[in-house]
Amino acid sequence: MNSRPLMTVRIAAAPLQRLGAVPHGIRTIVPVTGGEFEGPRLRGKVLPGGGDWLLLRSDGVLELDLRITLETDDHALIHMTFQGLRHGPPDAIAALGRGEIVDPASYYFRTVPRFEASTEKYAFLNRIVTVGVGETRPDGAVHRIDEIL
Amino acid sequence: MTSRLLMRLQVVVPPPQRLGAVPHGTRVIAPITSGTFEGPRLRGKVLAGGADWTLLRPDGVLELDLRLTLESDDGALIYMTSFGLRHGPPEVLAALARGESVDPSRYYFRAAPRFETSAPQYAFLNRLIAISSGDRRASGPIYTIEEIL
Repeated sequence: MNSRPLMTVRIAAAPLQRLGAVPHGIRTIVPVTGGEFEGPRLRGKVLPGGGDWLLLRSDGVLELDLRITLETDDHALIHMTFQGLRHGPPDAIAALGRGEIVDPASYYFRTVPRFEASTEKYAFLNRIVTVGVGETRPDGAVHRIDEIL
Repeated sequence: MTSRLLMRLQVVVPPPQRLGAVPHGTRVIAPITSGTFEGPRLRGKVLAGGADWTLLRPDGVLELDLRLTLESDDGALIYMTSFGLRHGPPEVLAALARGESVDPSRYYFRAAPRFETSAPQYAFLNRLIAISSGDRRASGPIYTIEEIL
């Protein structure tokens, strides 16, 4: 598997909306209030208004379902979505739940981001498959995204 | 990005169903009649009934949207879906369309498979993110699927 860094996205989140038990698991929605991204070929900020629609499955795996809008430093808008999974040892997941900082190597947090861009400069984003390694922080999340070559 | 081999999957595809121009592009449905898969932790056959619902976008990128059922050699059923992208130089894609063998390094054919199973011995499939590299052969594609670690 050959890959190269695409960007690191830092997402700031508002307090969680805890919807509780729904038919597929426990639903928690994370409103996105902002953030920033930076990589060799693009950089800019995360616009407020997106979110991550989390679902804790009965097998203990957290499913992630994110939609956000990125704005590059030259004012292009990029639609980003991902689906992903997060799971790990009960003590690590419990510490994350308490808002503590946990070494991201101690849990599995991987995503498959997808992008839509209309500007020619960023059209390469429409044509790549990517994988993100995530880290849950007390104030949001950090995603290191690699392009699969 | 570290990964390890999950399986190699070969599917048999009869002549596709060419639906033509639809609102999002050109739709071609490739039914899957059979196949095999093999990896260090699982092996078995592909059941008839799946398909790849491909969409050729106006920007020349082929979107892949696969659903199939795997049956392991010990009788477990595994539901697999995969969303991916295929694109490349026009002459390479034309050769593929003519059913010729083309070095897969000459085009981009990547996807992100996901799995569902109730079999305890394969429950690890429910918890991983994977990436596949495709090789389009005349008889059907061969996918090398790696687990993202």
